[in-house]
Amino acid sequence: MMSTRALGLGPSLRKAAFSPKILRNSLVLRNAVQRRSIQTVKMPESKTMEILNRQRLRRPSSPHFTIYQPQLTWLGSIFNRVTGAALGVVLYGFSIGYLFAPESFSSAHVIETVAGLPDAIKYFGKFALALPATFHTFNGIRHLVWDTGKWLSLEGCYRSGYAVLAATGISTLALVFYY
Amino acid sequence: MASSLLVRSTLPRALTQRSILRSTAIQARHATDDAYNAAYIPGGPVYKGTVNDPTTFPPPSRANGSYHWAFERLLAASLIPMTAAAFATSGTAHPIVDGLLGVSLVMHTHIGFDSILVDYLHKRKFPIIGPTAKWTLRAATVASLVGIYQFNTNDIGLTELIVKVWHA
Amino acid sequence: MQSLLSRAPRLAPRHLPARAFATTSARLQAEPKPVLMKEFKIYRWNPDEPEKKPTLQSYHIDLNQTGPMVLDALNKIKNEVDPTLTFRRSCREGICGSCAMNIDGQNTLACLCRIDRDANKDMKIYPLPHMYIVKDLVPDLTLFYKQYKSIKPYLQNDNPPEKGEYLQSPEDRKKLDGLYECILCACCSTSCPSYWWNQDEYLGPAALLHAYRWIADSRDSYAAERKEVLQNEMSLYRCHTIFNCARTCPKGLNPAAAIAQIKLQLATE
Repeated sequence: MMSTRALGLGPSLRKAAFSPKILRNSLVLRNAVQRRSIQTVKMPESKTMEILNRQRLRRPSSPHFTIYQPQLTWLGSIFNRVTGAALGVVLYGFSIGYLFAPESFSSAHVIETVAGLPDAIKYFGKFALALPATFHTFNGIRHLVWDTGKWLSLEGCYRSGYAVLAATGISTLALVFYY
Repeated sequence: MASSLLVRSTLPRALTQRSILRSTAIQARHATDDAYNAAYIPGGPVYKGTVNDPTTFPPPSRANGSYHWAFERLLAASLIPMTAAAFATSGTAHPIVDGLLGVSLVMHTHIGFDSILVDYLHKRKFPIIGPTAKWTLRAATVASLVGIYQFNTNDIGLTELIVKVWHA
Repeated sequence: MQSLLSRAPRLAPRHLPARAFATTSARLQAEPKPVLMKEFKIYRWNPDEPEKKPTLQSYHIDLNQTGPMVLDALNKIKNEVDPTLTFRRSCREGICGSCAMNIDGQNTLACLCRIDRDANKDMKIYPLPHMYIVKDLVPDLTLFYKQYKSIKPYLQNDNPPEKGEYLQSPEDRKKLDGLYECILCACCSTSCPSYWWNQDEYLGPAALLHAYRWIADSRDSYAAERKEVLQNEMSLYRCHTIFNCARTCPKGLNPAAAIAQIKLQLATE
């Protein structure tokens, strides 16, 4: 019994167990075993599970993204999702807008509105469309290469990650200023 | 752990009886306490079964598994040559390429949004918002498909619009 | 008493008493080492006071009187400063996986993580992210082990050889390199954002690495069944190749690559 060993009662109990039969039921047995104030209570397993679950419900959850170190791995991944979602909102917004209000979303009206904007806003708008689109495209290609089984090492991940960032920067600048 | 041997051999019998009676009294008082009958909440600290039971798998379904994954990847891969082709040629001259691109883009976006919903708003944790969001997304996708079709048919088409807006 | 002492061999140097703590060796050093105090901010939560929110407690210890690894610092704090600090540890050599925790934002083994000797920066030690905490730095890994058990991490083969053992070529054995060394420390699974959000359904990088270890084993004949159970939306396909797992593995393993291989095999079979 591991519990008897832990409480230091092993030797006493063993002595009591191997003592001659006459002595077994005598007071010697009770004096040989030290009295401890630790009490255990016999419970069926369902009751012990209830105690454990009650304690489990009190436990806090350890912090996660607030304390995790920013790394290219997960920053690149969440940025891929955010850019995809943003472009998706623009696409869906435009398509549903055209479905319900074809005049205000017609190409002529859209082009006219954009042409009337100040240059600074135009450049900002181009930047805001080009950066997510190029990043998402290049990171998407990186994802597809991973799915074929290449670039799956840590070096491959980081090298391709930096390559995607470089390609995004160059193509965004090219699209905004030269196209 | 029901290790009662220690109690039986070291303590007087009376104490043992009293402690058992005390624990059953406590249990009777807390019979209606929610914590005692903790229901399983997905993602919560209470687990299904005992600590020795392995977690279970849902019934296998390739439509939700490898077929979905393969379709998603093939669609994404097809977007690259399609985008290049659409922007290399003119949108109005090749409306089919433009239309295919529009439909593929909407489907790709739908799979992306669906993945976001499964990750963050799954119905097992959000029994009302989850399915609501899923069906809203499906309705939005259908509406977008119709909208894109209308735009490509009655107007200049997606690629042409992007090119013109860029140079506006 | 006096005669007993004079006859017994003198084991300690003359100017020290017969028994002395190791830390008094500071007095024996030729030049005393300069004091290099570093601040350690450690996550604390006491289950005996559950209403009290978890806090970060600061400890300052002299790095020049401590071993080089974070586990040495934790032991020094527990021995000399605060004995109530609770953490798991066992082998102190990076093979048991007990001391996995989040140190300065990265999940790693405390016994393998060197302390940064810069005294101006503090070191933040948190338990493994998004796990239910039993006490201080001890997470509840029950679900992690249940998930490991669910992928049946044992050899399954209906046709054992009549004589001897299952034979395996060196090339087939090489396929298991980088898979069998996993010590189940849970660093990778708890670094994965997908595992954070869907812990109960997504198996996590560690369990999936082991699933692939058994799928790739040429001696195992149940690969089809092992792959079949993963054919659902959540168990395998919540992996979006975020790659945090490979970045954080303290043993240098690559769960992301193993998971990509499983996906490829599921799609191409």
